[in-house]
Amino acid sequence: MRVTGLAICAGILLCALGIESEAGAATQEPWGLPQLMAALGQVKSAAGQFTERKTMHMLTQPLIASGRLAYVAPAHIEKVTASPMPEKLVMDGDRVTIVSGPTNDTHTFSVTDFPQIGGLVEGIRATLAGDLPTIERIYTTRLSGAPAAWDLQLVPRDEDLARFVKWIEFRGDGNHIRTIDTEDSAGDRSEMTIVEDVRDAR
Amino acid sequence: MLVRRGALGLWLLIAVLAIAVVARTQLRADMAAFLPRSSTEAQQVLIEQASSGASSRIVLLAIEGVPPATLIPLSKALAAHLKQDAAFADVLNGNEASSGMRDFVWTNRYLISDVTAEQFTAAGLRAALLNDLGLLGSDMAPLLQQTMPGDPTGEIVKLLSRLAGPSGPHTSGGIWLSSDESRAVLMIHTRAAGFDIDAEDRALARIHAAFDDARREVPDASPARLAETGPVVFAVGTRDTTVNDAKRLSILATAIIAGLLAFAYRSPLVLLLGLLPVASGALAAIAGVSLAFGFVHGITLGFGVTLLGESVDYAIYLFTQTIRGDPPQATITRIWPTLRLCALTSIVGFAVMLFSDFIGFAQLGLFSIIGLIAAIGTTRFILPLLMPQAFFATGAEFVGRWLAAAMLYRAWLRPLIVVMTFAAAAALGLHRGGFWDGDLTNLSPIPAPMQTLDRTLRSDLGVPDLRYFVVVRADTEQSALEASETLAGRLQTLVTQGRIGGYDVPSAILPSEHTQKARQAALPDGETLRARFNEALTGLPFRADLFEPFFGDVARARSSPLLTLASLPSALALRVDSMLVQRDNGWELIAPLYKVADPAGVAATLAGAGLQAAQLIDMQQESAQLLLQFQHEAVSLAVIGSIAIVALLWLFLRSLTRVAAVTAPLAAALVITAALLTFGGGKLSIFMMVGFLLTVAVGSNYCLFFERAYHDAETQKRSIASIVLANLCTVSAYGIMTLSSIPVLHDIGMTVAAGTFLSMLFAAFLSAGRIVPEAVGQNRPRSGRT
Repeated sequence: MRVTGLAICAGILLCALGIESEAGAATQEPWGLPQLMAALGQVKSAAGQFTERKTMHMLTQPLIASGRLAYVAPAHIEKVTASPMPEKLVMDGDRVTIVSGPTNDTHTFSVTDFPQIGGLVEGIRATLAGDLPTIERIYTTRLSGAPAAWDLQLVPRDEDLARFVKWIEFRGDGNHIRTIDTEDSAGDRSEMTIVEDVRDAR
Repeated sequence: MLVRRGALGLWLLIAVLAIAVVARTQLRADMAAFLPRSSTEAQQVLIEQASSGASSRIVLLAIEGVPPATLIPLSKALAAHLKQDAAFADVLNGNEASSGMRDFVWTNRYLISDVTAEQFTAAGLRAALLNDLGLLGSDMAPLLQQTMPGDPTGEIVKLLSRLAGPSGPHTSGGIWLSSDESRAVLMIHTRAAGFDIDAEDRALARIHAAFDDARREVPDASPARLAETGPVVFAVGTRDTTVNDAKRLSILATAIIAGLLAFAYRSPLVLLLGLLPVASGALAAIAGVSLAFGFVHGITLGFGVTLLGESVDYAIYLFTQTIRGDPPQATITRIWPTLRLCALTSIVGFAVMLFSDFIGFAQLGLFSIIGLIAAIGTTRFILPLLMPQAFFATGAEFVGRWLAAAMLYRAWLRPLIVVMTFAAAAALGLHRGGFWDGDLTNLSPIPAPMQTLDRTLRSDLGVPDLRYFVVVRADTEQSALEASETLAGRLQTLVTQGRIGGYDVPSAILPSEHTQKARQAALPDGETLRARFNEALTGLPFRADLFEPFFGDVARARSSPLLTLASLPSALALRVDSMLVQRDNGWELIAPLYKVADPAGVAATLAGAGLQAAQLIDMQQESAQLLLQFQHEAVSLAVIGSIAIVALLWLFLRSLTRVAAVTAPLAAALVITAALLTFGGGKLSIFMMVGFLLTVAVGSNYCLFFERAYHDAETQKRSIASIVLANLCTVSAYGIMTLSSIPVLHDIGMTVAAGTFLSMLFAAFLSAGRIVPEAVGQNRPRSGRT
């Protein structure tokens, strides 16, 4: 649960970056993580609808949220939740601003102020830059499936980060990310489904 | 013989007594002594904040020279070392920037936070739980989840954002890095106050030692460098540079002067004896000021010894004016009337400082009076006894010859001097924006690159520049804290209105006892709380046993001891201490304001706030005001001193013409020196005032000796030689000081070197006395007064 917000960020990023599956299929080259990452730098902007289902140990029933996600290269992400409560998260570089509540309380902080989200964000940034070495420095990766239906799982290498994030799992279909699931060490889970509807790629 | 023994015995006795007093003298360095006696509250706050307030204890550190991966563990290791050291009240490096405070605030959240009974009714609790549920669904959830079971009403979140220190630049790996990740940044508060320079010096040494240790512990950290800045570093650095410059330059000056005098005297014994008047004077002066004031200020000592520089000349006059074959007693008897008047003019001039409103000025006045009396006494009664009876300053023959030769053309030079003086006076009168320097930063001896580093680190860290403070008086500590609570309410309104960016008050950390008790009373007992909580929880999807920590914490808070200043962790205690000051007649609350957009509006709001004598203080304005007051007083003292000197001269010389002959060259020299110093838009600093004082003291002697009527070539020749020799020494010593980058040394050096040299030239050229032809070795008779 602790990673929900960032999982969303990760989701929108990976989704926005897309996967050029046709190119991969056409040339018959061996397909793997480097090809996936190399394709991610191609997207300038993207947006879509999301639905998020959170199962938390503090609560007896899941929480469902939905809204819109938008990404503009290189590091601008907006998550606007419409239901059940209006909320807006903007991530710009390493600054995160969250506007929520009936009085529009604004919280601004640096993502690295909090270790529970720092490693995750660094992974996202590295992904954005197509920086596979950085991703592999923070996480162990496991990619399975084929370009048409793939499954990427990230598990933190660092014990400090593992205290907050157990794993992150992306599922994609062609050049779209369909779901992002995360689980934290307390067993809280978030499952997010994304439907992309706008894209501007190179 | 008896007289001789008596004089020596008395001198020795006084010297021994003075040494005994000096050994026990307390040397003080706090700036309060340089406040006017009738100082306002605002001025006291200004001086206190600058010399011992929390902001005077800041050290900013930057670690550079290694990649971020090494900076991070290095910063952590350095902070760990420093946190164990009792010399530091607070060490912040971004890692757990507020953790010392976080535990304390968490434990005492129901006393510090503004909790009300309404929050703990069933309705209040339900509102809080609904809010929590919303937060769990939001993106803020990861940050709030941990504290929610113990703090469903969210007090800790409110408190930490309110008490947060500097926001820091950019955090990486949990520590503060500059945005380009080239340096790690730390902020430290020393326990010692800023004015305690010795303690601060030791604190800096411990930082260096800790950094060396940290560098050894962290792999690959050996190329790392430590840069430091902040008020503490400036204070220590200024003292060190001043001491170093003074030492280096005075060694150089001493060598030059010793060379000059050795050439003139050709006697090591006489060379050493020349120091006797000034040494005796300094010793007596320190003892006298110590007895009169109970302490001697460091600044008094520094400037006082500078002013006693005149007494070095006394010995030069005696040694150099001795005519071949004359015993020293004959010389001193011959020159005594003039020498006595030389000392008296300076003493009368310096005496006006005794009436200064500034204790520092008054001390300086007493110091120079006692010092000059002791020095002239030593010259008159002791030196002739100790110097070799057949002494003649062989080498001085040639020293004065050039000036005597130039004096032959004085008829042509006089109109030039008059024109220059009027031009200089006109330039001073027309000087744009006044010729006094009101900008305190120009007096700062801190090198520009260091000021830049300081600004960069400060803006990186978000350390505010403190300029505005609200001051409120109260009778007791508790009433001061209650006033602080009232004030906080008003200031919060100003924040909401956008008139100020923020503020700090002591009650935000340490609420009054009255308020703490009221908050405890607002918390329901265990059974009531559970009943209300269960009612509030109805229909909400929270797990049943989730909030057990909350019940325990509320029960503990109800009966916990009240917070006192002593129970605060050091970082918070330091903050409260600097905002809550005990005075002789009560307590004073000093609340800093940040980003004040509308000072006039803030002052007006405070006036109507129902707080006793709440006052908005603008530090910048106060310091400028203080400087202005200093300058006004300096000018009026200078005028009174000049009148006193003229009166004294008239009393001794009994002729307005002769008084004018003494004062005119000096006045011309001072006006031209002031014009030269302010040429091209420059400003006069307060340090130059000290320079002018010394110029008057030394220059008046030249004028008096030139004004004397000489009947034979030998005495006139020796007299001119003694003046030129004395001036050569003064110009070398003070000219060398102009090489210093420290404004105080540079300014005094410049003023004295230029002022005394011009005084000598003008005294020579404006003097009306006949020049005995043999004095210049030429046979050109000239008319003149005898």
